[in-house]
Amino acid sequence: MSAVLERTPVAARTGPPGASWAAVLALALFEARRLLLRIPVLAAFALYVTWIVWRTPLLENGYPVLQDADRATQSGPLLIGLAVLVCVNQAVLRSRRRDTERHFAVLVLRPWQRTAAHALSAAPSALLVAVCVGAQYGWSALRPDAVGSGSPAELLVGPLTVLLAAAFGVLLARLFASVLAAPLTIVLLLFLSFGVAVPDASEERGVRWLLPVVSENAQQAIPSQLIDRPAAWHALYLLGLVLTLTLLAVLASGGRGRLLLGTVAGALALTLTSGITQTATLPDATTAARARATDAPQKEQTCVRRGGTTYCAFPEWMPRVGTWASVVDHVRSLTGGTVRERPLLVRQRVYATGGLTADGAIDPSATPGQVTVGTGWGGPRVPEFSAAVASVLVAGSERATVGVCDGRMVTTMWLALSWQPDPVKSLRAVRLDDSVTGSAIVLTPTNPLQMTAGQTYVVRQLLGKPRESVAAKVKAHWAELTAPNVTSAQAAELLGVKAPKEADKCD
Amino acid sequence: MRLTARESLVPVLRTLPWRALAAGGGLGLLLAGLLRWATGEFGGWPALTLLRTAALAYALTLTFVLDDPARHTVSTVPTRRALRTGLRLVLVTPATALWWMAVVLLVPSSLRPPVADVTLEAAAACAVALAAGALATRLTDEPRPGPSVAAAYLLTAVLTPLLPHRWALFVWPADKGWEAAHERWAWVLVGALVALALCMREPIRRRRAPIGRRPGTFAPSGGTPSGGV
Amino acid sequence: MTPTVSASGLSLRYGGTRALDDVSLRLSPGVTGLLGPNGAGKTTLLRVLATSVPADSGAFTVLGHDPGTPAGRQEARRRLGYLPQTPGFHPDFTAFEFVDYVAILKEMTDRAVRHREVRAVLDGVDLSDVRGKRVKKLSGGMRQRVALAAALIGDPGFLVLDEPTVGLDPEQRMRFRELIAQAGEGRTVLLSTHQTEDVAMLCHRVLVMAGGRILFDGTPAELTARAAGRVWSSTERDPGAKAGWRTGTGSFRNVGSPPAGAELLEPTLEDGYLLTLDDAEVPA
Repeated sequence: MSAVLERTPVAARTGPPGASWAAVLALALFEARRLLLRIPVLAAFALYVTWIVWRTPLLENGYPVLQDADRATQSGPLLIGLAVLVCVNQAVLRSRRRDTERHFAVLVLRPWQRTAAHALSAAPSALLVAVCVGAQYGWSALRPDAVGSGSPAELLVGPLTVLLAAAFGVLLARLFASVLAAPLTIVLLLFLSFGVAVPDASEERGVRWLLPVVSENAQQAIPSQLIDRPAAWHALYLLGLVLTLTLLAVLASGGRGRLLLGTVAGALALTLTSGITQTATLPDATTAARARATDAPQKEQTCVRRGGTTYCAFPEWMPRVGTWASVVDHVRSLTGGTVRERPLLVRQRVYATGGLTADGAIDPSATPGQVTVGTGWGGPRVPEFSAAVASVLVAGSERATVGVCDGRMVTTMWLALSWQPDPVKSLRAVRLDDSVTGSAIVLTPTNPLQMTAGQTYVVRQLLGKPRESVAAKVKAHWAELTAPNVTSAQAAELLGVKAPKEADKCD
Repeated sequence: MRLTARESLVPVLRTLPWRALAAGGGLGLLLAGLLRWATGEFGGWPALTLLRTAALAYALTLTFVLDDPARHTVSTVPTRRALRTGLRLVLVTPATALWWMAVVLLVPSSLRPPVADVTLEAAAACAVALAAGALATRLTDEPRPGPSVAAAYLLTAVLTPLLPHRWALFVWPADKGWEAAHERWAWVLVGALVALALCMREPIRRRRAPIGRRPGTFAPSGGTPSGGV
Repeated sequence: MTPTVSASGLSLRYGGTRALDDVSLRLSPGVTGLLGPNGAGKTTLLRVLATSVPADSGAFTVLGHDPGTPAGRQEARRRLGYLPQTPGFHPDFTAFEFVDYVAILKEMTDRAVRHREVRAVLDGVDLSDVRGKRVKKLSGGMRQRVALAAALIGDPGFLVLDEPTVGLDPEQRMRFRELIAQAGEGRTVLLSTHQTEDVAMLCHRVLVMAGGRILFDGTPAELTARAAGRVWSSTERDPGAKAGWRTGTGSFRNVGSPPAGAELLEPTLEDGYLLTLDDAEVPA
């Protein structure tokens, strides 16, 4: 029993101006700590971090394009948002549920200030998500193989969805004094987003932008200036929504005053303006630029010469020239005749007409000595490009390889695969059905090639022999091996392996 | 015992969170009604999504069924916890069955996914919700663990579709894995029912006696527990 | 001395019930007891004075501020400590967190100072050993002390305690009295209770309420004095007594109007209280 009940110095007796806001902040900090320690939030963060660590190295075969990597950070925070929504909602309802409202109602901080504090209490969670987003994006961006440029506005979407979830949770608590309201609303939202109300996803702009996270079913990376997603407007729209929902919750818990109403109007105006702007139709300039990039990329590209080969690519991809050159040089070193010195043009081409979700094939180029490279790299993209280089060196042009069904396929595939660290693995990667026996489609950046079972049989035999001995035979017999209509049996004979039983026959 | 059960029926009826159940069930009915109303608009698959959504919404409210604000007051009454919990379940089950029937019937028969399988999914979802509530009551001292259980349940439900294909629970009827998935659903149901049965008794926090010993066999008036220690 | 609280003509109806009926009072530093039967309007009066509910009519000031205006209400709340009847708790908070939470809601913003004060208040109510324990793990008496600490945080000038000793064992009640007495040094404390002993031992002043009205306002001695000459001993229960019971000594103790020549006994505060209610024809 000490003298503590005597008058002790007091922190804030009479409220100086600003004390209320300082108290709101103190309450927000207190609630933020409790929020971060709630089991659903902890579990969500654990899963989120696991997901980042597991998925990020796999992004785009480890050769990330940063204008795609920024969007890849957007879906994970939804999980955090879900947990935050439920937990913030329960935190707001706590005093009512535990019957402390009778006491708290006569304390200095007014209900609307407590509401504001609850909405603010998600800020540290959002900040933590921002750190995770930064780490996830940074992981991709700091890779030496990364190309392109991300958009800060796309990176903001993750943290903003967490804040939005919190604001929504607070508003729900102020409108429905039941802890069941938030989970049921989430179920309803899930149903609406997965079940019915998916707005027409084929449309690039339009109402789908009203959803918090607008994902793209992207088939391939395209230059960043052609993406033209209204990311900044969308971030503003999310911010406006966060403010509007929070302020509505403040209003619902008794907040009044001209300043508050003015701010609500401002937030609403921001939400509406940015919301409508982002759904506006795609500018014609973008459509034109996309068409240009698809049909006449040479006007947009820069070129560089390495050895006997010229590399032309969209400026963002120029750092990749070195890796392409290493493939070209490897394949070239295995060839014979005049081909070793023949000039080659490696041109990057992309089907960008429909934007990110476009799924169009690139026509093979008719220009002799021109090889197409896509925007992706790593994994199967490497043997695919290698096959394209080999096929152009063997057949003369991409157009000339269309429908090739003779012994030249044997030489092409051996050139494409033999220099790779694990040729059979590369063979599996380059074939559409991931097989290493029988007939299959072989993918390249443009038109697919076809391998018969017999050609596969010969190529497998060649890959099992020492590369130098096969290379010597390839160089010695280059003219015969690359002559049109040479059969696979003849090629096998020239290269000193068993011939296939059946004749070359493609469907 | 029989008398106690019959006499407890009405009070237990009044302790059930009927408004929450109505809200959860109403959501499913409302969505099903909307689907029926706009039947031309939907393909075959949203009907399954709708039924799953309805089941999830309803199951979420079931996590509150075992909440008992008077838990500490009644923990010492002679009517055993198992009986009181059992009575709640007995009262909720027919209501649930009726509600599910209504939801299924609201879905036009042309769009209806295999009813038996979807009913299995719904039953398993409900059983898991009840078992989670019972488990929370058993493991904690909290009279109303419902909100936390609901949050955990929801998070689990949201993550379940992300299960790898080998353990997938949410598959489409066209999928080859439909049968196997429903075998898994059956196991989930059985597991949940077993957990529910195990968690129905009043928890004994001081586990000094061997597990499984009934509380009634303790020596009276705080004497040495027979056979304890 | 200027009164801490002064109220005049406070009235409040709940439906058809007159919970407060033209109540006027002035409170000054020290502990004032508020006695009354259930339904007398004690809790309503306390809630009105604690700015929890507004009165239908009448006015009052707390430490010079008028809670009738929004600004005045805020100022009054800054000086107010309130312990509601059967207070709620956040069972997952520790004792420290709960009091800290209340301190934040009282706009104590400097974290270091606030934490120091929370610790001091918890020490004061003898909870320093369990301040890190969750409220749900605490005993009823300890919880009540947490609630008192929450009321005391921020050094309120006016402390409203609604039946704080309900449900406490005699030892805990004694301990609580000690705390309240200390809290009353230099503060104005209004203590609602059913325990006449609490009032007799703690209060410098006592109010008796029934039917929404204040029936008595004076010192405990004055209330006791109301029963002077109206308590007597007899061998049989006296039919004229308002109340009478056999005591441990075997004789009857009667309260009411003694017959002539009766053996008068020393009255207690409780006798005065019972007779005050009885004189006003309100069933106790």
